[in-house]
Amino acid sequence: MGREFIEVLISGITNGSVYAVMAVGMALVYGVTKVFNFAYGSFYSMGGYLAWVVFGAKLGYPLVFVVVIPLLFLAGWLTEQLMIKPLRQRADWEMMAVMVTLGLALFLDNFYQAVFGPFVKSLPLLVEGDITAGGIVIAVQDITIFLVAFGIMIGFMLFLGKNTLGMAVRAVAQNMTGAQIVGVAKDRIFALTFAISAVLVGTAGILLAPKYFVSPFGGWVILVKAWVITAFGGMGSIKGSLYAAFILGIVEALVGWQLGFTWTMFAWFAVLLVTLIIRPQGVFGTWG
Amino acid sequence: MGLMMTSRQDLRILMVLYVCIGICPVFLHGLPDVMNILILCLIWGVVAASWDLIMGFAGIFTFGQVAFYVIGAYTSAIVTRTFGISPWFGILLGGVLTGGIGVLVGLPCLRLKGSYVALVTFAVHMILEPFLRSEAGRAIGTGGPQGILSIPSLTLFGYTFNAMELVPWFYVVLSISFFCLLIIYFIIHSNWGLAFVALRDSETFARAIGINDFKYKLMVFGLSSFLTGLIGAVYAHYVGMLSTRLLGLDLFLILMVMLVLGGLGRFPGALIGAFIAVFLSEWLRPLETYRNVVFGALVVLLVIFVPQGITGFLFPDDRPGPLRRLGALLNRKTPDGPPSNH
Amino acid sequence: MLEVDRIDACYGEFQVLKKVSLSVEEGEMKIVLGPNGHGKSTLLKTICGLIKPTAGAIRFKGRDITRLPSEKIVEMGVTYIAEDRELFPEMTVLENLKMGGYNRRARPRRARNLEYVFDLFPKLAGMKKRFASNLSGGEARMLAIARGLMSDAAFLAIDEPSLGLAPILRLEVLNKIKEIHRTGIGILLVESNIPQLVDIADRIYLMEEGELVFDGSRDEALNNPDIKEAFLGV
Repeated sequence: MGREFIEVLISGITNGSVYAVMAVGMALVYGVTKVFNFAYGSFYSMGGYLAWVVFGAKLGYPLVFVVVIPLLFLAGWLTEQLMIKPLRQRADWEMMAVMVTLGLALFLDNFYQAVFGPFVKSLPLLVEGDITAGGIVIAVQDITIFLVAFGIMIGFMLFLGKNTLGMAVRAVAQNMTGAQIVGVAKDRIFALTFAISAVLVGTAGILLAPKYFVSPFGGWVILVKAWVITAFGGMGSIKGSLYAAFILGIVEALVGWQLGFTWTMFAWFAVLLVTLIIRPQGVFGTWG
Repeated sequence: MGLMMTSRQDLRILMVLYVCIGICPVFLHGLPDVMNILILCLIWGVVAASWDLIMGFAGIFTFGQVAFYVIGAYTSAIVTRTFGISPWFGILLGGVLTGGIGVLVGLPCLRLKGSYVALVTFAVHMILEPFLRSEAGRAIGTGGPQGILSIPSLTLFGYTFNAMELVPWFYVVLSISFFCLLIIYFIIHSNWGLAFVALRDSETFARAIGINDFKYKLMVFGLSSFLTGLIGAVYAHYVGMLSTRLLGLDLFLILMVMLVLGGLGRFPGALIGAFIAVFLSEWLRPLETYRNVVFGALVVLLVIFVPQGITGFLFPDDRPGPLRRLGALLNRKTPDGPPSNH
Repeated sequence: MLEVDRIDACYGEFQVLKKVSLSVEEGEMKIVLGPNGHGKSTLLKTICGLIKPTAGAIRFKGRDITRLPSEKIVEMGVTYIAEDRELFPEMTVLENLKMGGYNRRARPRRARNLEYVFDLFPKLAGMKKRFASNLSGGEARMLAIARGLMSDAAFLAIDEPSLGLAPILRLEVLNKIKEIHRTGIGILLVESNIPQLVDIADRIYLMEEGELVFDGSRDEALNNPDIKEAFLGV
């Protein structure tokens, strides 16, 4: 019982680390551009599908990242510049942005289904093998995923904190007018933010694909999970999303272990409902 | 997004549409496929128009419309099967129950910002399918993953509507659909409609002049879901069976196309959009899986390039700015007050 | 150096600025007076590119900047210091100042500008690690001005710097502006409380209903009974 518990915990932490990457990307986009990207889940699947294609060409993992990440970056950039930017002048831009990203999501998902078929695709593991420690079995894959996700998070936090461009991103999120006043090119930052978030969520898709597969409409669950995490952690808060991701990843694993898969979906919604009712601004709160 | 055209123009267009559609069976009664499509257009037109009411006019981003449609359908199906009551009553019950659920869904959304409401309502959609397929769902009669396979059909003065004779179905659906659209028309052109638009365009100002946004938001949630649930129930009895496949995103996508084609906030654009979208969908059927890809692209392109929809394109309206419209509202409420200066 | 040529500006549907023309040369300080809500802030924002005029032209150092995006205008040396300060709340004082020097022209001189700014505002030097959301009104005002200076501007548009401050702080802020003026930066200042600045203002404007209804030297302003009464507190 104790052993199983620890294994479930580890699974939860591993998932949590990838959820953190996804959630942070969403918090980033929303915090900076104030647009909610409904196609976020479709970018998750995009990562998985692009990786699958690269694998199909008999290329290994390092190359997968080298090829797919710039493509994801481009996809995010173009989405913002071509689809969101033209809408900003309008009075009802917020609603139009939701409609357009929703339309994009459905376009992409159906595209995946048409091109790749309705059945799930899977990717090979990053690393094979298990480690046994004190009677507990840990897949090296899980450790690797955790390290990669953790590395991404560190890199991202450093970017935001120290890098000039990263600071400009934070500036736009905290005060758009102030950012304009100091001469930040808002437009570029919006596009950059979308691009980065596409990379983050797409990479999450690649990391989780071996275990949870890639499917045309699988992105919607991801969208909802990422959103619940950011709502719980505080929609504008990167650090909040980070903590929330781990907490909810562990909760999900525990609920799944004790009550079964269907109940995990209900659990996510329960968390959402409770958060929105009791503390809508989330546990943590602002943009740091 | 536009304001309503003048009342009479709206009504005229609506009447003309329904008359045109109404005489179709005279020519088309021999083509059951076409008749079926027309009936579905009428049904989904109500869903689209209800969605337009809450999103285009009241400016609330909701994505629960399909969920409400399905809830209404399942409600009537379960109730008529379990308790043997008349499907007419079942339809009404379906509408009322869905309306109630709509208000419940609206409650947490009252204080939430735009995109959040979109997500909450989308979450309702997402949670409905697992619920209907679950054991708990089966316990109340949803039939679990198999769905419901036989739903009693409508009867009127001893005549039972059936799938062989579509003309009677056509006229029943036409009447109900017209009734629903008429309700929407009256709401839009009433003071309530003005309040919705005021809240949509400038919530702070609207609140400042005394419009109780909570009351109106709940009202529009309730009404929009009532109508959607009602017509969903009609659908259930028409098609005779239900499954959770309705909750797949196909219906969602085609509804979006209807809205965007018709132009948000332009009555009766959603209905026009419904007909065009459904016929477009039939025309594109040979594309199979690529059909939805085209639809997705269509939504994106329309939102960017033709946001006013076909209706806005054909009937461009002269939009007074939001604050002047609010001024008009203010003047309505205080006829003795001075005209707002700017 | 800065030329505003008959600009119109609208906020939504309302025309806020009506054929406004003025100019500011290097080293000059000009003051815009007027009742609230009549377009003074809009004027400054339009000059700095935050709002685009619907008619007319704005030229800086001979170049037409009317249609340029705001970041290019800042880069050229025109900086707006907002009445609302518009600081970055989750950033420290130091980070806010660093962001002030974000534009490409100012970036290489960042260290030097920081030094100058801390020299001018010694209190800020002691607050480097404090978050901008934790500053008092006066401190925030100083930070906003300091951040504006970090952009290495040749022209500053300052919007009501002393608004809402206690009298002592007001004096302090206005004295700082005097010091800044002495370094040769062109300043267009919107203020309602200017007895201290009257003696160094090169020109005084009065804006009402989006139009400049008075445009004169300080002596002319002092001899104008309406202006004296309403704004100079004399």
